[in-house]
Amino acid sequence: MADWDADDERGEELNTLQSIYPEIVVDSRHSFAITLDLDVVPARPFPVTFDADPSIHHLSCLPPIHLEITLQDGYPTECPPLLKLTASWLSPSILEKLERDGIALWEASEGMLMLFGYISDLQEAAETVFGLTEPSTFSSQLRPLLLDYDAQQTRDKFNRETFECEVCLEPKKGTVCYRMKNCGHVFCVSCLQEGFNNSIKEGDIDNIKCMSMDCGKSGKKKDRILSPNELLQIPLAVDVVKRFANLKRKKRIEKDKSIVYCPRQWCQAPERSSKYPKIDDITQIEEWESEDEVEDAAPPAPDDGPKGAMNIDRLAICEGCNLAFCRLCLASWHGDRQWCQSREANELTKDDQESLNFISQNTTPCPTCSVPAIKSYGCNHMTCFQCKTHFCYLCGSWLQPGNPYQHFNEPKRRACYRRLMDLATGEDVQFGGRRGAEQQAAFWEEEAMRIQAEELDEGSER
Amino acid sequence: MSTGAKKRIMREYGECMSDTPPGMKITFDEQNMTEWEILLDGPEQSVYAGGHFKLKLTFPNEYPFKPPVVSFKTKIYHPNVSNDDKGSMCLGLLRPEEWKPPNKVVAVLRLIQTLLIEPNPDDAIEPSIANEYKENRKEFDKTAKDWVKRYAK
Repeated sequence: MADWDADDERGEELNTLQSIYPEIVVDSRHSFAITLDLDVVPARPFPVTFDADPSIHHLSCLPPIHLEITLQDGYPTECPPLLKLTASWLSPSILEKLERDGIALWEASEGMLMLFGYISDLQEAAETVFGLTEPSTFSSQLRPLLLDYDAQQTRDKFNRETFECEVCLEPKKGTVCYRMKNCGHVFCVSCLQEGFNNSIKEGDIDNIKCMSMDCGKSGKKKDRILSPNELLQIPLAVDVVKRFANLKRKKRIEKDKSIVYCPRQWCQAPERSSKYPKIDDITQIEEWESEDEVEDAAPPAPDDGPKGAMNIDRLAICEGCNLAFCRLCLASWHGDRQWCQSREANELTKDDQESLNFISQNTTPCPTCSVPAIKSYGCNHMTCFQCKTHFCYLCGSWLQPGNPYQHFNEPKRRACYRRLMDLATGEDVQFGGRRGAEQQAAFWEEEAMRIQAEELDEGSER
Repeated sequence: MSTGAKKRIMREYGECMSDTPPGMKITFDEQNMTEWEILLDGPEQSVYAGGHFKLKLTFPNEYPFKPPVVSFKTKIYHPNVSNDDKGSMCLGLLRPEEWKPPNKVVAVLRLIQTLLIEPNPDDAIEPSIANEYKENRKEFDKTAKDWVKRYAK
């Protein structure tokens, strides 16, 4: 408290003011001078725009205006108070007008104390932001000042409040709560984290929305899936949000019937598409695009005729392995001029089928690693190039590494007995008749019957 | 189960104790708070009047992010309760995709009471009972009442 002389009317008035506004600061340079910051809190959020940006922001608080009052000798009877108002975001003409209002009020008071009345008037005027038009346009230089101040004040106010979290049913301080951007529902951060982390872990991304019962219950409006940006603000861990964003993208691509997938079995990634860019920066995703747009996308007309095949853009590039392929025949890219026919993804091309036929008819798989082996010449004792297993080229059985040749010397192995050197010269590599699939089947049948017969023999011996 | 979930279950239990919905009795094993036993009276205005139905309510580990699981331990003839030894129910807010964490057990119990008064044959777990309920209400009422006498006294 300043030590004003209570006998002086000025001292009496300032003492009274200070008890009403404890935030008053006494100006030591003058015996009867004070300064006071007046909050500008509009009665309802005040719409503003900034130069060259038509978007409207609603401000709940604007930066305070600074009021300096100096009471000269002769106040209140002969001299008006010296009033000075400053606020960087208000135009000088408005500030001057507010100062003139003070002088006018002094004149009307005819020597009575008038400062409390003046401050009340200013506060009242602040509720309508001093009569500024709605929305008011400010210089873009003021943008950070106004928006940051509003955000800071809103946050401070939120932090001071206490909320009942509807999930854990406990009262929580604003500092550990989060307000949903879209609907304004408040939950405690730990409940949001637990719920959303669980859902994202399980891949249940449709559950990443406001938890309130009031949201999405209207029936018509679909619940809004939260944006990665908002999830980061809650905050959820970056890795979790990345997983969420990628799952969501994958789901949208899967919904889009026009997207084709890489024909390579080990890849199967979707084609590159400008509609679904790969996610580089999750903080950039503030809002998912409308879902309807995706559903409307029509699949490309699968046309067997040469005309159709020539008319659509058939080149697709896999976003996973960069394979360039034809979206119609799913073969690797053959150029624009080639005629082709549409094909199911799991259907083999003619070439693939022929390769497969050749492999099944002309090779013997290694009994350990199944890699197909083909003999160009030499004996029928094979060593797998991949896993070094010894095996018989004729029947495919595993051979003792220590004595692989015994296999060909046992009379009971009729299919291989004394046939170590069959086809050793490699003159007839077309084994169709000998190693063909049919013959292999016949061989195994024969072998099975033989084993069965042996077992029967053994049984009768006992 | 997280401490948060346990605290919430305890809190809900407290709420249920201080303000038990009429027509039911809730018991709870101190050792295992994730399973509640509920004794539900058949509502007066329903075919289940006079019956006492034992229900088990199980809280999943992810509660309250996932709904509790409800099953009838007492046999009941009802389109929305499975006609087997499980007596399970799956409709309305008991469905994971419709459940919201602010929903409470009390709401679940109220839903069950409402369903005893007015079954929902369009969302039935037992289509044949639902069909009978819609097409041959007399026969349905008779069997339901008969089952009350046989199993729920």
